[in-house]
Amino acid sequence: MMERISPREESLRLRAPERVMDLERLGSLHASRLSFTRSLIRQMARQRWQISATRFELDSNGHGTAIYRLQTPCGRYHGVIFSQPLPDDARSDRVIAEAWDVTFGVVEGEVDDALLEQMAANVPLQEAGRQHPRLLVLSRANRSLRNFNAFSQALSAGRQPDPAWLTRVGYLYRTTAVYGNGKFGIADFGRLRDNPDFQRPFSAQMLAVYLLRHFSIQQVEHIARCQAPGVAVDLATPLKRYLGIGNSTGLGMAPFLINHPQLIERWVASREQALAQIHAQPPSEDQRERLLALLDRAGCHLAQTLTADADQEKRNAATVSELPEVSTWLAQVPLTDNLWQELTEWGHRAFSLETQELINTLLLELYPAIVEPFENRMGVDEELELTPEMPLVRLKQLIETHYDWALAYDFDDPDSRYWFWYRSVEKEEPRLGVRGHDPGVDRELKLAIAPRVVDTHRAVIAYLDAQPHATVVDFLIEHSRYKDIVRRIQTMAETRFGDIRANLWDRNMQPMHLLRTKLSFFGAGRFDPKSDRWVRITLFQGAPLVEELNAEPDDLRDFDDWGFPLEPVLEASSCATAQGAMTDTQATNGVAS
Amino acid sequence: MKVSYNELQGLCRKAFLGMGFADGDASDAADMVAWMQLHELDGLEALNRGLDHVLAEQQEPARAPATIYADDDLAVLDGQSYSVLSSSSLALELGFAKARARGLAVIKIRRCHNRQLIMGYLARIAGRGMNVTAFWRNGQRPLIEQVVGFRANGQVPEIRVYAINQVPVENAHNDGVTLILANHVELLPDMRSAYDYELLACHRESALLASRERAMLDGITIDDAVWNKLKHLAARILVESTEASRSGAGPEVNDND
Repeated sequence: MMERISPREESLRLRAPERVMDLERLGSLHASRLSFTRSLIRQMARQRWQISATRFELDSNGHGTAIYRLQTPCGRYHGVIFSQPLPDDARSDRVIAEAWDVTFGVVEGEVDDALLEQMAANVPLQEAGRQHPRLLVLSRANRSLRNFNAFSQALSAGRQPDPAWLTRVGYLYRTTAVYGNGKFGIADFGRLRDNPDFQRPFSAQMLAVYLLRHFSIQQVEHIARCQAPGVAVDLATPLKRYLGIGNSTGLGMAPFLINHPQLIERWVASREQALAQIHAQPPSEDQRERLLALLDRAGCHLAQTLTADADQEKRNAATVSELPEVSTWLAQVPLTDNLWQELTEWGHRAFSLETQELINTLLLELYPAIVEPFENRMGVDEELELTPEMPLVRLKQLIETHYDWALAYDFDDPDSRYWFWYRSVEKEEPRLGVRGHDPGVDRELKLAIAPRVVDTHRAVIAYLDAQPHATVVDFLIEHSRYKDIVRRIQTMAETRFGDIRANLWDRNMQPMHLLRTKLSFFGAGRFDPKSDRWVRITLFQGAPLVEELNAEPDDLRDFDDWGFPLEPVLEASSCATAQGAMTDTQATNGVAS
Repeated sequence: MKVSYNELQGLCRKAFLGMGFADGDASDAADMVAWMQLHELDGLEALNRGLDHVLAEQQEPARAPATIYADDDLAVLDGQSYSVLSSSSLALELGFAKARARGLAVIKIRRCHNRQLIMGYLARIAGRGMNVTAFWRNGQRPLIEQVVGFRANGQVPEIRVYAINQVPVENAHNDGVTLILANHVELLPDMRSAYDYELLACHRESALLASRERAMLDGITIDDAVWNKLKHLAARILVESTEASRSGAGPEVNDND
């Protein structure tokens, strides 16, 4: 029987900020039922959202326009997708690209001819266009050429593509940017604050990605039908479910993590509060069985996760090898009231960070009634504010208490100040430079919080020597350049978990951890780092399909159980093999794997 | 041209950084300009009028206001002829601290310009539960006065601008702004003067809320020339690209896989 514990007991059971906010741990998080893809699917099913195509005008190559209508109990929206030919030499996942296979947006309200015309002229231009204020999301995506060709060839030959294609690369399209919140003229997030459909962070962006997934299925089936009328088959449902949407992300995502500390803290705190509640629940035999099944599925999923990145491969392999030990232990131990707490503590001592956080992610699956209220607490009104009347000596104490981790860095060590961050003239792309070597240090982005805290602490101590009874505003009037970092310190010290703990100047700093932190909350799976600075992931792989959503499922628990999807098994005779298709495609495109 | 609030705020912030503002000042200044524009109060035009001055003052080393006099509930600061974009935020924070401690505080910033733009920061102070009113004079003959008052936690102010026809004998040039902050008492402007005055502008809270609603729905109208000027300034913070920096930052330039 589930029983919520009091806020006080919850607070006592929370993991410590120094553990939770460690960047490497945050960079080991997995998608969970609190991730935005999962909560969107639940919301859509719970509220009986309906999606229908109102236009699907594509030529035989799949180029043209598609419009999908989304009807919710509160409003109507449209996903508008433009698919156009793209020369191979223009296909780039970089933000500096200027053309894409598809460009699309989500519109609040109806799409009349005038709006469609405006969008057709501007959406394909993305950043270079002026976008309409009724657009909630602006995005673009490129084809995975190998998968796309393999899928259209197989379907047009009347066969199913080998599921192994999607194990290798889990999508037909990957997005390279999904813009919200006022970018390039689209609607501000503030406009959605009172909109019950999309007031959660990134929910409109996730909807855009979900609609693209549906389009990608319909488009590839359409192309196959055009290529071989009467012969082509539709994609089998298990394959449709196993097909997600990719995303390619580079350093561009990193500043968000630093510039939105309250939001990131809220995401982490929600997860941790849910876990603290779960740790207090006495387990049942059913829950143990469920967790064992989830461990098994997650282990298989990770074993099926392919990456060329040696470090990520090692991390996946470590988790895959550790999970059987977890399962054996769990199957044998008596069902004590503290079992979940014991499991977590043992995990901290015995396993890799990814395994530890995977256990936590799976524990969240066991208690929907505890976890789901937190999905409405993932947003926050962001405002870093001064407390000007605070005695300056109190600020000094706050720094020493909440930012002791920052004070511990030695910034006289050249390796501790190795990198600097800046924005390039090329579409303002954030980049890393080596201090003393690369140009741009005079225009450094102030993303590294730790050195600024150390500098502030030093200045505060000096000021207090002369003015021991000073307030914060007294100090700032004389040293105004500390205004923003003092605001941040004062605001974040009020939160449970505070800032991400890392030195973003450090030579050994891994930007990948920042990217994964955010992507895991989006719901990303199959992390496939391509370097320490950019990564490909998959969203919505395994998620219910539009037709399943439209059928208004009764059993939402089953509908929601789509995390860690496994490669489906199809009848061998119905499949084109991945190996064969790969060879064909390489021959066609001259692309090495 | 129409832009979004976030876009305007973002470009202004980068432009102020490009002008040489410190990070905190750049964010505050951007918020002040964008807040005005969101409420159809021509923040960009106010910025544009004083832009040359703002650019020139960024060459000066210290732009925070200097304290001339301060006691527990009163302070007089010298804005040193800088824009309120640089000088007002900490003056208002000082007033906030004093009012929190003493119930009411009066802050006078002498010698400042671009005073219209102070409204955005007044909004921020009001959002923290403080009643706040600003008063300043715009012209000498006719004598034009402006009062902007926010109630505590109010999102928008009541604004009155009026010309005084009976100009007092003592009418020295006044380029300051007086700020009154009160913990518990509303200080909204209400025209009850027996003097002969002509109301030049009256912005009520309801009208300003409607302006904001409109801007959120339809976007914010801005002057293309000013926008381009800001873009030009914002480009100053960008770093030239090299082959090495390009290749290190993300995916390949070609992704036909």
